[in-house]
Amino acid sequence: MPSRAGFHNPAKSLPERGLLLLMVLLFLEVSVRPLGVACSQDTNHHHQDQHSGNATFVKKAFPVLSLDYNHIKAPFEVSLWVLLASLMKLGFHLVPRLSGIVPESCLLITVGLLVGGLIKLAGEEVPPVLDSRLFFLCLLPPIILDAGYFLPIRPFMENLGTILMFAVVGTLWNAFFIGGLLYAVCQIQPANPSILHQLELLPCLLFGSIVSAVDPVAVLAVFEEIHINELLHILVFGESLLNDAVTVVLYHLFEEYSGVGTVTVMDGFLGIISFLVVACGGVLVGALYGILAAFTSRFTSHTRVIEPLFVFVYSYMAYLSAEMFHLSGIMALIACGAVMRPYVEANISHKSHTTIKYFLKMWSSVSETLIFIFLGVATVDGKHAWNWTFVTVTVVLCLVARVMGVVGLTFVINKFRIVKLTTKDQFIVAYGGLRGAIAFSLGFLLDERHFPMRGMFLTAIITVIFFTVFVQGMTIKPLVELLAVKKKQEAKRSINEEIHTQFLDHLLTGIEDICGHYGHHHWKDKLNRFNKKYVKKCLIAGERSKEPQLIAFYHKMEMKQAIELVESGGGIKLPSALPSTVSMQNIQPKKPPPPKPVERALPQLPKGREEEIRKILRSNLQRTRQRLRSYNRHTLVADPYEDGLGDLLIKKQKMIELEKKIKDMNNYLTVPAAASDSPTMRRARLASGSDTDFKPAQQQKGNTICPDPQAYNMKPQSDSVPTIQVDLASPQSPDSVNLMDEFRKAKQQEDDEQGLMMKPPSGPNKPGEAGEPREQKLIRCLSDPGPSADEEEDEPFLP
Amino acid sequence: MGSNSSSMNNIPNAEQLVQETGFSAAHILRLYERFQFLDKDDTGQLRPEDFGAVRELAMNPIGDRIISAFFSPGQETLDFASFVRVLAHFRPADSNRTRDGAQPEPANSSMGKLKFAFQLYDQDRDGKISRAELLQVLRAMLGMQVTEEQLQSIAERAIQEADFDQDDAISFDEFRKSLEKVNIDHKMSIRFLS
Repeated sequence: MPSRAGFHNPAKSLPERGLLLLMVLLFLEVSVRPLGVACSQDTNHHHQDQHSGNATFVKKAFPVLSLDYNHIKAPFEVSLWVLLASLMKLGFHLVPRLSGIVPESCLLITVGLLVGGLIKLAGEEVPPVLDSRLFFLCLLPPIILDAGYFLPIRPFMENLGTILMFAVVGTLWNAFFIGGLLYAVCQIQPANPSILHQLELLPCLLFGSIVSAVDPVAVLAVFEEIHINELLHILVFGESLLNDAVTVVLYHLFEEYSGVGTVTVMDGFLGIISFLVVACGGVLVGALYGILAAFTSRFTSHTRVIEPLFVFVYSYMAYLSAEMFHLSGIMALIACGAVMRPYVEANISHKSHTTIKYFLKMWSSVSETLIFIFLGVATVDGKHAWNWTFVTVTVVLCLVARVMGVVGLTFVINKFRIVKLTTKDQFIVAYGGLRGAIAFSLGFLLDERHFPMRGMFLTAIITVIFFTVFVQGMTIKPLVELLAVKKKQEAKRSINEEIHTQFLDHLLTGIEDICGHYGHHHWKDKLNRFNKKYVKKCLIAGERSKEPQLIAFYHKMEMKQAIELVESGGGIKLPSALPSTVSMQNIQPKKPPPPKPVERALPQLPKGREEEIRKILRSNLQRTRQRLRSYNRHTLVADPYEDGLGDLLIKKQKMIELEKKIKDMNNYLTVPAAASDSPTMRRARLASGSDTDFKPAQQQKGNTICPDPQAYNMKPQSDSVPTIQVDLASPQSPDSVNLMDEFRKAKQQEDDEQGLMMKPPSGPNKPGEAGEPREQKLIRCLSDPGPSADEEEDEPFLP
Repeated sequence: MGSNSSSMNNIPNAEQLVQETGFSAAHILRLYERFQFLDKDDTGQLRPEDFGAVRELAMNPIGDRIISAFFSPGQETLDFASFVRVLAHFRPADSNRTRDGAQPEPANSSMGKLKFAFQLYDQDRDGKISRAELLQVLRAMLGMQVTEEQLQSIAERAIQEADFDQDDAISFDEFRKSLEKVNIDHKMSIRFLS
């Protein structure tokens, strides 16, 4: 097979590119050379001393420095490859023009070809990098887990019917069409009897099933760069994920029986049953592990550092378990990630959430890069058998089958959809059916003995992959622009949207009930109810289990906004919607409200005063936040955001000044919701137990220092420090707490402060029980804010 | 065609309804059957109590609002035509309807759907969702699980986010704007499979 090492380099216009390549060559040199040398190296230096039975014992000088490559060979090579992949990724983004024109996947394959060529030139054996075991067990899972964990559930479920149609029926159609027609073409070689004649029907069908599956890795790689609208993205992507079950069944079916030569109706029937088992079994296995993971995460409040590990390990085990039974590992992984996510996220700390997110992204990114590079390398290596007819017919048939399948299926599907798929949509779906490394690996798995045409198959598969990735991948972006396909909208959900969406959900459910029509909303509502009633109680720790969706969303929004505020310096003008505070600690069945004193409603502040207060609050937001964080001994050790003590003292001073300023303001209990609050304060509120019913502890015990962890008490009279006593529950600023102080000084007997000050329960207030959830929540919240820029904010699980 | 003797002839103004609402004849028939099911005492009119036959509505947080939306303000009874007209809002939008300026906005267009939803919020029909009205809705949806302060905060924030003309209430345009990312056609449509 003519080596493709003759591929020309992409235009190296920048010195960085050259430098990068130089580094690459250097690395290769280092890795390739020792490979040859290592064989002849005597590595057992340390055994020589004990080698007593040897007659010709020669005493060598003690080796001060020695080279022992074999010792570290495997991990070293793995690391080299990973490093290469990462450097390549770096390199591409240093060349802006290039990454705009050519999708990354193409560049990576090119690099792989280069590397493969270089290795071959160096005369070494190209390592069988795309070994199927390596691929399926190590390279593929991170990508799928990343996809599954962050799968947007709502659009996925809404379009599930369509996706399943494309995945199942579409793939079946593709497989049989391509396989059948290939066989027909192979048979009609009249004049010169070529080797194609030997190709029988079943191997053709097997080939068809391998090459017809849309590949999630390739789809992800290309679609991520073109940012099309959510619907199309989820359609193609969902299809690529779900067709795994079909591919697995077809592959095994045809592989099994191509030795025998015939497939009976019974086998076909068993195949269908097998498909159901594979698909549903995979999903079940995944869901089971997902629930286990969710359940485990319920108890991780004391060991936050290993929380991400549970997510990864359970998911991987789900994949392996499914693979063990020859079920669909991909579906298991998706199910696991999707099922566990809402519950795990309710339980884990913010830091863990960030960790999980970034680890998944990192691993999947590296995996993807490696896969493409290996694809290139494996192309260079390998026994290729180029057959013009076979290959070209395959490529053509793939395209034709895809288009026909999509058009035909859309025609049927549109009868059942509310939002129909337009021609543009169909085109993108058809055009986006990229093949990738999975097809190659499946082909690679074929046994040479049973399939003498394996070489030809592999060549054809690679050609198809190259064609789809290069041609379709490169042209899809301009086509999307040309056809003016709707792009992805930057989703920043507002609280309004959330409220109204929920409202509409209820409305539609009601209307459906009135019509007696058990539609989409009806079942969703039922599922939601079930989830709320039983599942959440089991799987979510503590009080979060009762938190309504809206509150959780609201809370997240507030947190994000406050984090952004703090990160940008704290002194900027707050956006018009100042975060108000939503108390977490009040999420419980409402007890009969305590006898309320007169003032329940928020008294109206004169606007001027309000502004003043806002300004004051704004300028102190950051400091109070930091201050509150520092003194919690239950946070992870060495919180990087911890301030020094001196800093705190200064802040304390400022707070006292602030107090004096507000002292002359009216006696109002609460500042209207305009008060900006810090996440920490909110968390502190969270952390205070559920039974702190707006009673400032200090009121109860005079000025005793609360032993509570989040109570930051430096001195006995620190109750004048507002933050400690801020009831995050109320829309109140830390400063209003000062008011409370004033208030208290004014009238000591005030015992129901309208929830202004949520003091963490002091001694008498059930320290035992309240302490636990308190710490738990506090730890949850005091965490690394993490990057928020491209934070993919989770949608509610069951919206 | 069910076992009961209803056919298109029994339904008053059937053709007119078909014209007006865009439902197909089969849909109208099905809705008529449902109407008769709800109308237990066979008067040809529905009263709010009749909707109690739909058990799930009792569990719906805004169930009573939905029921009262069927009845025009001041009316105690509901005839079939009005029933159908309200439900017409939830028909999937016709994508190929030609934009004719003279034609009134059909009930099942995005605008029509949004107007209907807006009316559910705006009980006093003054064209705005005031803070109190928003609070009522929030209270209904979130129920017993949250405190008054939280509701106030959420309502406050919602109004601040949406209110562009600073009148402390959400007008229809502001309402529409805050839902611009949601595909209303999709969200507020029921497939009346006949």
